[in-house]
Amino acid sequence: MSTSNRKERPTIGQIMDENGVGRRRFLKYCAGITALMAMPPGMTAAFAQQLRAARRPTVIYMPFQECTGCLESLTRSFAPSLESLIFETISLDYNHTLQAAAGHAAEEARHEAMKEAWGEYILICDGSIPTKLDGIYGASAGHSFVDQLHEAAEGAAAIVAVGVCASYGGVGAAYPNPTGAVGVSDIIKNKPIINVPGCPPIPEVMTGTLVSFLASGVPELDKHLRPKAFFGNTIHDRCYRRRFYDTGLFAESFDDEGARNGWCLYKLGCRGPTTYNACATIKWNGGTSWPVESGHGCLGCSEPDFWDQGGFYEPVTSKLFNDTGQIAGAAAAGVAVGAAAALAANRRKKKLSGQVDKETSS
Amino acid sequence: MTLLEFSRGTMLHIALIVFVFGVLWRLVTTFMLGWRKRKSEWRTSAGQSAVKGAIAVGNRSWPHPEFLNRTAFGEAVGYGYHIGLFAIVLLGAPHVVFWKNLFGINASWWPTIPSGIISVVSVVTIFLLLIATIRRYMPPPLRRISNFDDWFTLVILFTLMITGVMAVFGIGGRYELILAAHIIAFNVLLIWFPFSKLMHAFYILPARFFIGYTHAKKGAST
Amino acid sequence: MNTATQTYSGKAAPEDRLSPSEREERAMAEFAHHFGAYTATNLESCIHCGMCADACHYYIATEDPKYTPILKAEPFKQAYRRESGAFAPFFKLFGLKKKVTTEQLEEWQELLFDSCSQCGRCSLICPMGIEVAEMIEIGRRGMAAAGLAPKPLMDRAKHQAETGQPEESDRPYSEVLQDIARDHDLNVALDKDKADILLCLPRTDLEQNPESVAAMIKIFNKLGVSYTFRSDALIAENYGYYAGSRGLQKRITKRITDAAKKLGAKLVIVPECGHAYTALRWQAAEILGEELPFRVRHVTEFLAEQLEAGKLKLSKVNGESFAFHDPCQLVRKGGIMDAPRQLMDAMGVNLLEMHNKKGFSFCCGGGGGVNDLDSARELRSRAQQLKLREIDDTGAKRFLTSCSDCRVSFNEAGEHYDWNKKTESLIELVATQIKE
Repeated sequence: MSTSNRKERPTIGQIMDENGVGRRRFLKYCAGITALMAMPPGMTAAFAQQLRAARRPTVIYMPFQECTGCLESLTRSFAPSLESLIFETISLDYNHTLQAAAGHAAEEARHEAMKEAWGEYILICDGSIPTKLDGIYGASAGHSFVDQLHEAAEGAAAIVAVGVCASYGGVGAAYPNPTGAVGVSDIIKNKPIINVPGCPPIPEVMTGTLVSFLASGVPELDKHLRPKAFFGNTIHDRCYRRRFYDTGLFAESFDDEGARNGWCLYKLGCRGPTTYNACATIKWNGGTSWPVESGHGCLGCSEPDFWDQGGFYEPVTSKLFNDTGQIAGAAAAGVAVGAAAALAANRRKKKLSGQVDKETSS
Repeated sequence: MTLLEFSRGTMLHIALIVFVFGVLWRLVTTFMLGWRKRKSEWRTSAGQSAVKGAIAVGNRSWPHPEFLNRTAFGEAVGYGYHIGLFAIVLLGAPHVVFWKNLFGINASWWPTIPSGIISVVSVVTIFLLLIATIRRYMPPPLRRISNFDDWFTLVILFTLMITGVMAVFGIGGRYELILAAHIIAFNVLLIWFPFSKLMHAFYILPARFFIGYTHAKKGAST
Repeated sequence: MNTATQTYSGKAAPEDRLSPSEREERAMAEFAHHFGAYTATNLESCIHCGMCADACHYYIATEDPKYTPILKAEPFKQAYRRESGAFAPFFKLFGLKKKVTTEQLEEWQELLFDSCSQCGRCSLICPMGIEVAEMIEIGRRGMAAAGLAPKPLMDRAKHQAETGQPEESDRPYSEVLQDIARDHDLNVALDKDKADILLCLPRTDLEQNPESVAAMIKIFNKLGVSYTFRSDALIAENYGYYAGSRGLQKRITKRITDAAKKLGAKLVIVPECGHAYTALRWQAAEILGEELPFRVRHVTEFLAEQLEAGKLKLSKVNGESFAFHDPCQLVRKGGIMDAPRQLMDAMGVNLLEMHNKKGFSFCCGGGGGVNDLDSARELRSRAQQLKLREIDDTGAKRFLTSCSDCRVSFNEAGEHYDWNKKTESLIELVATQIKE
């Protein structure tokens, strides 16, 4: 039943045509996406063709322990407005933040949609999933998030974890992680999962990932399940301030001359060197600026456990332990053991040398 | 926990504990093994001898010219990589930041050297260490007296230097892994330190002082 | 051909019938006697840089790595690591440092005795400031305790401890001394009961260099000081020091110190003999465990003092050029840097210095008992060649030194290499230039 239903859905190309989007404009958009993803230019035409042929997918968007920041970011993706159009064209069958329906009606709609597109739909998640105490820390419609995730994941063709919380637990999982928050991939093991981390992720990266998934399936991922196309380089590698790092020019504080001159923020805790994301190239707010450009170091929000990497204003090599006197204790123990070893050695010396000393004194 | 977190968290903490514990253990034992009371008639007073001992601590760094025709190359290589290591460790920006953070000090006077220069110094230092290694293997006296201590210390130093350079140039893998390897190598160095010849960093002071002091008392050459 | 390959098993003194385990025990006991903060700092400091090899004349002459000085100290170092160092229990438990065995000690006999003249040059090159020579000396002491010191040294040490002289002589040395005095028309003060100064003589000079003995008598007569020789404490050498035996060295030392105490002497003069100076000036008080009630001076040191005080007047030599060999025990290790040069200066000696002079002087090749070891002959002469070349390089016509043991070594080397110089004594020169 579901398959026949799917076939009735129009392709993205058909929707574009209906909305009067010209071929040229569509190609331009695809060129933009393929460029973002660092695909060779020759791929654009093939990509466009694949995307046009893709059928309008069913999307279930499940929010868990989240702040809606990711959704805010997603819905505010700027020009090309075509992206938003694409999202209008996809069948966003469930998102309880956006949809008008609420309560039982919304849940019913979700189950309906899932049933209809069982095994075919894309599951988008944002927010971490609390697991402690049988997941009691997060529930809606009488079911814990853990259960909801299991249920929704079962019929999904693939899962896209949007934001660092859904990807790796994010702020919810920060020490001491009272709710036992984890990311989707910590719970679901038998489905293709694409992580699009960030706090929030760059809108273009989210849409780009979705579009490329529609066109050609799961893209190439890194070991943290992030699309390599967007997360293949560190911020530091692509940072326009890199030359200051290389020449040893650093801002020492946020109000010194170095900061005003736009020097490297490494010493002020910038996580650029260990953070894989596209901020330095795609930037934010439609390419207007990005954190480092605005004078603040990268926080590393697309990395697992970014919240627990020491103070945000401590450098990437800073110590990550709280010494509550252990080292002082080790010093005291060292002195004590050293003294004891010396006393033992002196006793041994007396014992060993006894014979010869008697001889020489005679 | 990522490898990087482990390296600069738990492992660094343990390494520092072992380092402090081991270094003090070894030094305290050494200096508590008993002192000889010497009874000869001395040429130089204890006070003056102590001054000469203190001078010897610095002076021994400069080889006597009488020996240079045989030792100049070894001295140059030794000096070279020591200066290189100190420059990198004490003046490289990422290292300075690390020390400041580790000791919890805000030493704004602490200078740094541009990383371009540090990179050149690093490559030169690796090269010099390589020569030092070859020298240890090549000339018979060195090879004859070398033991596991020497070789293992060199292995750690090479790992440390090479991962450092790889991290800076972004070669050989993901930065955070290389950085973690670099910090782990440093931790291994810290743990190995008290039990190895690396302790010469501490012993050099009393050893030089003693020879300066005892020789000054006899008026002998220092 | 290479002396290095000789083994010395069973070469210990014949009456010395110790089992291997007894030897090990005794060596360890002696090593343990020397454990302490000072030796520990030295032993802990080595960075295995191998530079000490480049200071050692035996290594330079042969380029054989086993002559690396710090390697010679290995048995002591090993014992220290295993029994005294901070981590000794672990070294012992895991066998990281093996027990010092009799076989090992036998192997080291050549390294500790034949190929080390105790010259102390290695202590100057060490970038860490390790007293390498002293660590080797302690190695020798362990060997002696284990009954493994070379027989020629040990036999002489025992003989000297018993009789006061290292070997039987045709006549008592006091008679030899009197004969020499008579031959030179000199009055000699011998066996007086009270004197300010006690004089000793090298046995070598009594047997081989009567001119030197006469020079001593002549100079001290001329100075008009209250001195005496004592037949019970005539010989300056200390074979106990050469052999490394603390017990024998102490007994031999005591002959002189007891005599000096009985005399009420204020000063003991060490003649031209380097190791005798080390033994009496720097080790006597330590080995006896007491401060000495008299001062100890080398004869050149004493004469330089007299010169300064205007009590010694010297005439100038004709402008011939001299080279001077700084004996290691007197100069580098003993601290007598300027005295010989003050004397030479006063005599107007045209001194042409060697490249390695004063504290950096190369050893004559035969010090520290090496002269007495036949087994060391070949190695010794290779090292001597090095020294002779340096002397020749100065271009000097004549050659002086102030140690009879060095003279023995140079004479041997001169004969071996057909050298064109005669080794002269500084004291003899002083005696000829002393103003009437």
